[in-house]
Amino acid sequence: MKQILVIAEIFAGQIRPITWELVTAARKIKNSPGLKQLSPTIQIIVPADNPALLSEKIAKQTGIDVIGLQIPELKNYTSEIYIYCLEQLIKKIDPSHVLAAHTSQGQDFAPGLALGLNAVAISGVNGIRSDENGLIYSRPVFNNTRNQMLRPASNRPVTLTLMPGTFKPDERKDGEPGRVDIRKIPFAPAVCGKEHIQHCRTVKKIFEDQTLEEAKVIIAAGRGIKEKEELKSILKFAQCFPTAAVGASRPLVDMNWLGYQHQIGITGATVAPKLYIACGISGSSQHLAGIKDAEFVVSINKNPQAPIFRHSDVCIIADIIEFIGTFLKKQEI
Amino acid sequence: MKILVCIKQVGSEGEVNRFDAHALEEALDLKDRFETQLSESVTVDVVTVGPVEAARIIKRAFGMGADTGYHIVAEDPEYVSPFVTATRLASAAKKRPYDLILTGIMSTDMMTGQTGPMLAKIMGLPCATAVIKTNLPTNDNLIEVERELENGFRDCLKIRMPAVLTIQAGINTPRYPRLSKMLAAGQKEIKTFKETDIFPEPIEEREIYIGLALPEKTRSGRVLEGSLPDKAEQLLALLKEKDLI
Ligand SMILES: Cc1cc2nc3c(=O)[nH]c(=O)nc-3n(C[C@H](O)[C@H](O)[C@H](O)COP(=O)(O)OP(=O)(O)OC[C@H]3O[C@@H](n4cnc5c(N)ncnc54)[C@H](O)[C@@H]3O)c2cc1C
Repeated sequence: MKQILVIAEIFAGQIRPITWELVTAARKIKNSPGLKQLSPTIQIIVPADNPALLSEKIAKQTGIDVIGLQIPELKNYTSEIYIYCLEQLIKKIDPSHVLAAHTSQGQDFAPGLALGLNAVAISGVNGIRSDENGLIYSRPVFNNTRNQMLRPASNRPVTLTLMPGTFKPDERKDGEPGRVDIRKIPFAPAVCGKEHIQHCRTVKKIFEDQTLEEAKVIIAAGRGIKEKEELKSILKFAQCFPTAAVGASRPLVDMNWLGYQHQIGITGATVAPKLYIACGISGSSQHLAGIKDAEFVVSINKNPQAPIFRHSDVCIIADIIEFIGTFLKKQEI
Repeated sequence: MKILVCIKQVGSEGEVNRFDAHALEEALDLKDRFETQLSESVTVDVVTVGPVEAARIIKRAFGMGADTGYHIVAEDPEYVSPFVTATRLASAAKKRPYDLILTGIMSTDMMTGQTGPMLAKIMGLPCATAVIKTNLPTNDNLIEVERELENGFRDCLKIRMPAVLTIQAGINTPRYPRLSKMLAAGQKEIKTFKETDIFPEPIEEREIYIGLALPEKTRSGRVLEGSLPDKAEQLLALLKEKDLI
């Protein structure tokens, strides 16, 4: 009987919600035609220095059995500790699948873990389906303009990192909690002072203001804006609305054209305005992650193939500067 | 100190992957900082795996200030397993005792983000991904870096070198190649290897490539038709109707 393992995402002693999405994906794999008759079981691994409470919480929430991986030296996440301890634990289990989150944490340890397990490694998975030859995984490529479909070339274990937001967390009906089994695996290198990565501290960049999170209307600029000067157009556009905040894709913030408090996406703000207007933004998964809860999305882009158009309510194919100029004239009338 | 930067050619115009340009800049910037503050010399080498034309990005790297370029020539089909790429890069990374190996956080075409951490694992080195700040290494061979997490959080780490770092955009602004250096680069030799010479047996692909598809639509995607003024008018009407403007 093969196991499907889920690695819970723990950050600062808390369970990250992506964990529930991973469980949904694990259930999907378990119930896929090729695997169903093998009746694989799902187990969730919870790595922590003291995993008992977290494990119980997860077992109760999901009804799935949990392995609390107790690593006394794990005060803070490092890839070195994760790869070392997870590899030891998982090698003994010899699972069919290992699921982790495609987050800063999962992307950091999963590729190394996969090689340690001699596994197939597929990252950024945004879809799972099956055909007569088994499971097919899709993942974004070419700046998110396409999905690439892959399947494992052999029956090695498969390690997947799953894109946040792809799988909806299952509604939990009241039921039996899963069993919790605590297993202790010390991180030996730290015990003898030979670790290669020391975690010094975690810092948070302070948002100078919270206007984006509360804004009803957001006008967001992307690399379709070619010069800092052109941002004036975006500001004028924003002034058409009673109250609108200016947002941006990451590259504009990286270039220091706008402050970090304007950045929207996985490494910036998550927003939920009534209206979101994307101006010259291509629609990368990292940006889209921040605007999922926007009520109405309008995109202006000169490329009809821009991926953002697949995630918009209204699509306007136009040069952004020309469009804003025309819009301003219309509005004056 | 010796630094190796892994760079990849992407896109229809064969440009260097955006994140790799940041990695190369960070290596050159570390060199500048190191040499002025500690007056110890630093070499920055680059390596690429790719078709014959990919030599272009090595020349460009010379123009930016790279010392030696390695080119593992491989004419690949549409899909190459990141494990295969990492294995090939490791063959170059083993040529000299590098203290630091830098890659971009991901390539903009394949977007796996796996090559750097896999290279580290193959070489038995520690790795930090999404590095957004580096400090100069200390005498005890530790380098302090910050890696970017979600929602504005960052982890500050001390890593024992040799180590692999994958570089996130926003860490620096890549310099432009200098004409004088580009000209001098003309004389510089690129050390070229045929992938089949290094690996007489093909490296096993771990995934089978099936094909490409359009991403799923998550919203209705109504396209406004007509001339530019028509489009502007329609949008204005829509927003008024929704009481948004
Ligand atoms: C770990 C990680 C985290 C990240 N986090 C974030 C994040 O939080 N937020 C974020 O935004 N990105 C993030 N990114 C970056 C992300 O991958 C993309 O690179 C980025 O979102 C692209 O920004 P863009 O759409 O503005 O630029 P591009 O992808 O370059 O798109 C520019 C668009 O403008 C259009 N255009 C060009 N000229 C015009 C014109 N004259 N008129 C109209 N349209 C025009 C083009 O057709 C194109 O679609 C992250 C990346 C990584 C690896």
